[in-house]
Amino acid sequence: MASSQQSVIYPASTYTPAPAHRYNIGDRVRVKRAFPPGHQRTPHYIRGKQGMIERICGAFPNPEELAYGFDGKPEKTLYRVRFPQKHVWPHYAGPSHDVIEMEIFEHWLEPASHDDGATHGGSS
Amino acid sequence: MTDTPLNKGPHDIGGEPAGPIDTIDHGMKFWERQANALRSVAQANKITSTDELRRAAEDLGDKYRDLQYFEITTSALRTVLLEKGIVTEQELSKKMAEIRARFNVPDEMESPLKKKAST
Repeated sequence: MASSQQSVIYPASTYTPAPAHRYNIGDRVRVKRAFPPGHQRTPHYIRGKQGMIERICGAFPNPEELAYGFDGKPEKTLYRVRFPQKHVWPHYAGPSHDVIEMEIFEHWLEPASHDDGATHGGSS
Repeated sequence: MTDTPLNKGPHDIGGEPAGPIDTIDHGMKFWERQANALRSVAQANKITSTDELRRAAEDLGDKYRDLQYFEITTSALRTVLLEKGIVTEQELSKKMAEIRARFNVPDEMESPLKKKAST
């Protein structure tokens, strides 16, 4: 590996650009506390929790529509959101800097202010 | 718990108390390999997608927790193939009867759901 700058062929990333994104890295967000029917990729335990945008993953067809045989267009922006474990699990016994990161689509997120309850995720 | 688990799918178990975890590799039964291959081919040919199969699996509701992995995925594949008109109930039951006769499989082996319901 250290022998040269020889290029390694990695499989193409499945991440795609997200030309339109409402949130930027570092923004505080809250996951919507909503319980609609249907197929969703937002687990119940994270709904209503606050976190921070860790990265913008790209834009992808909406799985909530793909699940029913539709094309999922227009694509939705997907983010990786970082949450402090102690915020997600009130009885969490691990270190306070522990975080959980989860990929969540934009339409499940709403803005949250800095002093809105949850502490910062991790040491960043 | 103050949260009402409204519309919470059977797969969405994050944070629930967990029982013991079976860490033994049970391998794959013959039918599991066959069914998994069929699912794989259906996805590779864009007949269905992970999203559709997951939705169909989640729609199993309470049955979801009683079934094993390949029972869930195969049941989901059956649902999606029926929804898309790729096979019909009649064709499926006709074929299943044909295969059952060929292999002389006892009836309770044919349907994990039926077997569980009767015990």
